[in-house]
Amino acid sequence: MSATTETSPSRASGRRRFDGWRWAGRIFLVIMLFYTAVPMIWMLITSIKSGFAAMQFPPQWWPDEPTLASYQKLLDPQNSVGQDFLRFFWNSLFVSTITTILSVSVAVPAAYAFSRFSFPGRNFLFFSVLLRNMFPAVIFLVPLFILMRLLGLVNTPGSLILTYMTFGLPLAIWLLKGFYDNIPIQLEQAARIDGATRLRAFVTIVMPLSVPGIIATAIYSFIGAWNEYIYAYTFLNKNDQLTLPIGIQRFFSENTTDFPGLMAASFLMSVPVVVLFLVLQRYFVRALTEGAVKH
Amino acid sequence: MTIVTGQAEMSRGAVPVRTGVLRKIWVHRADYAYVLPAIVVMLIVIAYPIYYTIDLSFFKTPPGLQLKDKIFVGFDNYAAILTSEVFWKVTLNTLTWTIASTALSFALGFAAALALHRDFLGRGVMRAILIIPWVISAVAASYIWKWIYHSDFGIIGAVLVELHILDRPPNFIDSVNTVLPSLIVVNIWREFPFAMIMMMAGLQTVPDQLLRAAKVDGANAWQRFWHVTFPHLSNVSTVTILLLAVANFNSFIIPWIMTGGGPANASHIWITHIYELAFGRQRWGVAAAYSVLLFIILMTLGYFYVRALSGNERKERGA
Repeated sequence: MSATTETSPSRASGRRRFDGWRWAGRIFLVIMLFYTAVPMIWMLITSIKSGFAAMQFPPQWWPDEPTLASYQKLLDPQNSVGQDFLRFFWNSLFVSTITTILSVSVAVPAAYAFSRFSFPGRNFLFFSVLLRNMFPAVIFLVPLFILMRLLGLVNTPGSLILTYMTFGLPLAIWLLKGFYDNIPIQLEQAARIDGATRLRAFVTIVMPLSVPGIIATAIYSFIGAWNEYIYAYTFLNKNDQLTLPIGIQRFFSENTTDFPGLMAASFLMSVPVVVLFLVLQRYFVRALTEGAVKH
Repeated sequence: MTIVTGQAEMSRGAVPVRTGVLRKIWVHRADYAYVLPAIVVMLIVIAYPIYYTIDLSFFKTPPGLQLKDKIFVGFDNYAAILTSEVFWKVTLNTLTWTIASTALSFALGFAAALALHRDFLGRGVMRAILIIPWVISAVAASYIWKWIYHSDFGIIGAVLVELHILDRPPNFIDSVNTVLPSLIVVNIWREFPFAMIMMMAGLQTVPDQLLRAAKVDGANAWQRFWHVTFPHLSNVSTVTILLLAVANFNSFIIPWIMTGGGPANASHIWITHIYELAFGRQRWGVAAAYSVLLFIILMTLGYFYVRALSGNERKERGA
């Protein structure tokens, strides 16, 4: 602050430089938009080409004969490719949904406790939960594989749900704690004075207020589980259990030159999470930043 | 670790404060019920694997992972790592990958957040589009970019040839020199939106009065940014950079799908290398020893992460 008061350029030059920054910002945004959008647009354009049209040089910037054949193939239950794809899609949906429901039900009470109570070891437990997020899947892979073998869960959705819960939980707890911290404690105190038990105050007062946080946490868990690759790649090897990321990889290794099919599959795989995100992005963005940024 | 919350005592005002730890634990026994489910799950899937990894790193375990046949070898696995040539190459790759990805993602994300801070027509749409790469699966992203980098039919190569910059399309990910930078570009594509979201939220906390006061005092845009905005964001910046660094250090999918670590290990980073050692070559002991080393490095980073977070918390409680 002190430095800003020492220098006092004339107002005119201040304003001119200000505009310069603004223009720099606009140009920068256009470049970033280009960087972000071109790969996605190229994915879409490729997905409506025929296999032959995709393998041309110089490429057809817009397909001469746009076709939805790749999408038809992937979504047709009669076709063997379509059968597999739809099954992978269903597996992903199943695993992600169950993971989300379980994570949220475990994270809600835990986050509330971390936000409201002080019990010995509270900070230690909270930070050890957070630290979990720092470790890569690879560290846990071998022992978890052995554990899953022990529990008889290899090649079942159970192995994925159990693992996804643990990497989803730390973030879910962190996000939800941010929400509970922002709910005034006086509301519960009033309810307690009126004779409600602590649990009752939690269920009737705090839970309804934290619905946005719960939605955000649920989206986060869902997207995390939907996109997870490394555990699924290690724990599953039966074709009928695969989730989408592994299924797509297998598809590519079997049809190395079918780029339109691969791009169509990538697009279809992205649709659920992108739609979910765009519809609920308000909650999502707010929750993600709540923990790190305090208002 | 010494954050004591006043509000948490809300329902227990009558509890005598100065008692033994055991007594305190007993008094608060009901509180543990709330965290218990989370702790149990974490213990099974975290504490056990960590113990197991440390244990495995001192043994030679047969390829089929028959645990009863493992042989104790002491620190041999660690020695094998530190004396191998691949180790240093992979470590250098990991450092390049982590530092470049983190620095550039943060810089681009921060700049985008600043540019998006002021309201303008289409700002919401722009923000949504910029965030999409972060939402879609890394597997899909890897295949999209693999196609973009394709040595014969890739769009970048085609544009370069059409503009007569090059005679023929370059080999982005099949050449030792360009593979790592090419993968870093993909990684940044997926990661800068995260930094952008964090910094956008941070920017909203910068008090308008201060900025206006600085403007009245004649500070130009750069001075206002450097002396008012930036100091306000130091905490959120630290957390963002640490989270990015950890995520990059732990990356797997992009290099694994796009190149599998090749050509000639040029794009192998620690995680992909460990994965290949374990599940590719089934050298479980060496892979476990690598994991333990990684664990130590991450604990160090984690220490700073916790310190940054508790700094936040202390500020918040003090406010």
